[in-house]
Amino acid sequence: MRTITFFNNKGGVGKTTLVYHIAWMCAELGQRVLAVDLDPQANLTTMFIEEDRQAMLWPEEGGNSSILSCISPIIDGVGDIAEAPLQHIRPGIHLLPGDLGLSQFEDKLSDSWPRCLDGDKAAFRVITAFYRIIHHAAERVNADIVLMDVGPNLGAINRASLIASDHVVMPLAPGLFSLQGLRNLGPTLLTWRANWRQRLEAKPADLAIPMPMGIMKPAGYVVMQHVERKNRPVKAYQRWVEKIPEVYETYVLGNKGHVADTETEPNRIGFIKNYQSLMPLAEDARKPIFRLTPADGAIGAHAAAVSKCYMDFKHLTQEIIRRTDDAEGRGRK
Amino acid sequence: MIDERELRELLADLESDRVERTVSTTDTDKFCEAICAFANDMPGNNRPGYLIVGAQDDDGQVKGTEVTDRLLQKLSSYADSGQIVPLPSMTVQKMSLPEGDLAVVEVRPSDVPPVRYRGRVCIRRGPRKAIANEQEERILTERRTHRARTFDLRPCRGCGRDDLVLDLFQLTYLKAAIAPELVEENNRDMLLQMASLGFWCPTEACATNAGAILFSQDPLNWFPGAAIQYVRYQDDGLDSEVLDERRFEGDLITVLRELDGFLRTLFPSRPESTSALKEVIRTAYPMPAIRELLMNAVMHRDYESNAPIRFYWFRGRIEIQNPGGLYGAVTPETFPDQNDYRNPKIAEAMKILGYVNTFGRGIARTQRFLSDNGNPPADFCIDEPAFFLATIKETAR
Repeated sequence: MRTITFFNNKGGVGKTTLVYHIAWMCAELGQRVLAVDLDPQANLTTMFIEEDRQAMLWPEEGGNSSILSCISPIIDGVGDIAEAPLQHIRPGIHLLPGDLGLSQFEDKLSDSWPRCLDGDKAAFRVITAFYRIIHHAAERVNADIVLMDVGPNLGAINRASLIASDHVVMPLAPGLFSLQGLRNLGPTLLTWRANWRQRLEAKPADLAIPMPMGIMKPAGYVVMQHVERKNRPVKAYQRWVEKIPEVYETYVLGNKGHVADTETEPNRIGFIKNYQSLMPLAEDARKPIFRLTPADGAIGAHAAAVSKCYMDFKHLTQEIIRRTDDAEGRGRK
Repeated sequence: MIDERELRELLADLESDRVERTVSTTDTDKFCEAICAFANDMPGNNRPGYLIVGAQDDDGQVKGTEVTDRLLQKLSSYADSGQIVPLPSMTVQKMSLPEGDLAVVEVRPSDVPPVRYRGRVCIRRGPRKAIANEQEERILTERRTHRARTFDLRPCRGCGRDDLVLDLFQLTYLKAAIAPELVEENNRDMLLQMASLGFWCPTEACATNAGAILFSQDPLNWFPGAAIQYVRYQDDGLDSEVLDERRFEGDLITVLRELDGFLRTLFPSRPESTSALKEVIRTAYPMPAIRELLMNAVMHRDYESNAPIRFYWFRGRIEIQNPGGLYGAVTPETFPDQNDYRNPKIAEAMKILGYVNTFGRGIARTQRFLSDNGNPPADFCIDEPAFFLATIKETAR
């Protein structure tokens, strides 16, 4: 089992859509997927689950089957994590639904972070809550891959989510804000990793709960072509794409090296196009673009684009699977 | 179905291409690939193949797996899930040996190979499974032509290459039917590709009936009744004034698309509050139920009849009538629990085009959509040999 988080501190690059499509493609490729929505916006959940079924998930609608129900004992200070209420989406895909109320957890997490250094057991339980919930859930459904969607910020919820992940994939839009974001995000990841290591050393010996290693190894980045093309010339876009490799190398990987050839950039996992006209069809049909049928409106040129999209996502997903398949063990398949 | 002696032989025969053993009870892909491969019967055994759940593949040992009712149901559901097309013919059974229980799926060779699972033709090569190459697919296609028994696979004489809209096949159908990576490596002539999917009959050099219905320029040349007639009447009889009238005709892909668009505009809906925050949408007739019944009519109708599908809207009720009564194993006694297909190739095409999700659920889904919307259940006239009629009444609210 491997855990991959899709992370970028700039919002609106199409990250959630990317996670949704990769989850489907992983299942197409025979992987058993657990998708985890740790973004308090819960967009991934609304993509996966139809509106009338959403009522069963959230307290405002009378239900209580989201990530919040697993951590509410911790938030209320009355106990430890509860079992994850997983939703079966289709063969090979389970979802741990997100919740708007997840933001309540932010303060508790920030508060516990420094206290881990004092060897505070309760603090460790809080910080590792996501990890333990996901770990149990993944075992329960025998998942090969856990895909995590998180919000676009550097807050405590994301820190706890990232500590629970082995790998980080960064979806980037080629533009100033994305590059600027990368300059903050890279060092933050390095700091989180180092700080978690310190805390692991402070862990009380008699605290018998599973602990994440906090590896969060950068797997590379995916260039999301779709935002910038709208009103900018293609040339400007190309300029940004060429700037990414060096910023990534310097700030995310912490290397000083200069990137010689931006064409054969090894950290770039792939490009994802904007499939403009297909996206509304896919949203209507509540399925990924590459599963659209003629009945959904994918006919003629659209049908050809659907096929193309399938191959694009297949290659991208295979590449992500390959890059995150390290043979270091740690109880993996 | 087999007896215990035969079962033991199958378990012990590790080199057989007629048996797949597995201990996994959850691996849907593996099960479906095995079912698809046995249905294709590439080795030409002309005998059923067996998927045995609960025994190890490398030595045939029975593992003592718990064979639950749920597992058996799941295995049976693969037959009509629509993932494997054309529909495989299979039987699922629990068998008990002293060493433990087994779930045994018997899959009979298909009359209409090649059978595809998720757009790929799975076959057996000796004891292993594989994806058929072009040559193997051609062999399977040729086997079909002289076995074909259903109406839609018979040759449509006179409907030659010039009568077909090959673009329609290539641009819209092919990409939906075949896995994308296989389309990329495909270099065959378009007619051979049509033949492999059952729309062209190479020996007679003409389209099959399904090919003519789906891809010919004007199917009415061969099937004068292949149309849908919509009439809205002011009152409740055929003699009352006609308010609106439309006819959907042409290749089936176009007909289905136009019909779908038309239905979306047909039933105006209004939101109705159920609490301060919530509202539900109410319409006189739920569009999905009408759509389901029309799809049912298109799939099951008798294309040899000269009558169109009739979609009549009277005051207070809608009637959908298609030529051709119940077919095959479906009788007034077994309706609606039993399925049978007058036009299996058309059923497969509707699945591939996305108009059908699962086979054999149309009637149950219709009734659910109706009850969710507050309509009384649909009424079916099923004892007429020449037609099938569904009547839906307007919601009382």
